[in-house]
Amino acid sequence: MTTENAIIEMRNVTKRFLLPQGEVTVLEDISFTANEGEFITLVGPSGAGKSTLLRLMSGLMQPSAGEIYYQGKSQVGMNPECAMVFQNFGLLPWLTVAQNVELGLEPRQKDPLKRREVVNRYISKVGLEGYEEAYPRELSGGMKQRVGLARALAVEPSLLLMDEPFSSLDVLTSINLRNELLDIWSDRDNVVNTMIMVTHNIEEAIELSDRIIVLSNRPGRIVGDIKIDLPRPRRKRDKGFIEYVDRVFSLLA
Amino acid sequence: MDSSSSEGDKRPQQSLPEIGISQILGLVELLLGKGGREDIYKLAGELSMELGETLTVIRAAEMLGLVHTPGGDVVVEDFGVKVIDATIAERKDLIREKLEQLPVFKSVRDFLKREEDAEVTREEVLEKLAELLPNEDAETSFSTVVSWGRYAELFGYNDDSQTFYLDV
Repeated sequence: MTTENAIIEMRNVTKRFLLPQGEVTVLEDISFTANEGEFITLVGPSGAGKSTLLRLMSGLMQPSAGEIYYQGKSQVGMNPECAMVFQNFGLLPWLTVAQNVELGLEPRQKDPLKRREVVNRYISKVGLEGYEEAYPRELSGGMKQRVGLARALAVEPSLLLMDEPFSSLDVLTSINLRNELLDIWSDRDNVVNTMIMVTHNIEEAIELSDRIIVLSNRPGRIVGDIKIDLPRPRRKRDKGFIEYVDRVFSLLA
Repeated sequence: MDSSSSEGDKRPQQSLPEIGISQILGLVELLLGKGGREDIYKLAGELSMELGETLTVIRAAEMLGLVHTPGGDVVVEDFGVKVIDATIAERKDLIREKLEQLPVFKSVRDFLKREEDAEVTREEVLEKLAELLPNEDAETSFSTVVSWGRYAELFGYNDDSQTFYLDV
């Protein structure tokens, strides 16, 4: 179903890879729509093709069958409206924080002064002021992922894709970053408000998202699309939280 | 709790735990989700962290005035609630005010102010830290001073030139 505010729509998307042992279907007949303003998480066992699905949405990979529509138009090639946040931050160690954030902007904004302005805006948005000239080696994991996030936000995408952004952080740091991500998501001040995140952490998915799309093991098929109807902020011991955990688990089992 | 005093300073100097600001904020957020109070031993178990490691994070949060630790519990202070309720940008200002009161940060900042025209090098700050916290590993204290100081924009540090400067 195409709704007016659909950001991305997957229509019967299948992805196969040719491996030495033959052709492997990683994703099969994936159909769903992400609407503007939604926070969606993709959960599933490892090998369910969650990361492949993100790469298809960003245009880094093309589907073997089916179609992807972005804001109502058929998507071919790289999608410049998407930005990605990676599990291992994807920072260049020889560049400073500001230079890492600026990296994705260079092809889009030719004026270096304007580029600096954008860089500073997003550095401040994620709480990295003061770290501009630090190198990744000088940063904690939490600060490194803030750089990854600032770099993605700086291209002012209409869709933010995140591939397990908290899974290489310690427990406390990830609590802090999840809360700050929600602050950014709900901030209506010209920041992207449609987010799709891959996670293997079910509680994290329930805490953050409006919808959880559950994928089965290889080939990945959608086995559940669950709306999380709980007020935010959400805590594990809230009424209803555990019921959602059980529901997602039962679909994965 | 290990602390040491330096000559000419009445207040004992607290060692600086090597803990990032994100972890400290995460701890306070976690505690607030539990109504603001938790048993330390239970908390360590729940976080699957070593008790010693948990205590180090708690001590860091306590230094910043975010929590206090009556008995075996850790309790969020009003200031902790204020910091978490603040925006990402406001948090820096609040933490900055606290850091300015901590003897180590105060000394480093005073040192930078005195040397305003000269460049203050990494070596000089390391020496200063060794003097202030004689029982601690100066390199460890150094990395915490740099990371908390940067977060609060108390001073800047450039690792290429290995020099400190005051933010204008």
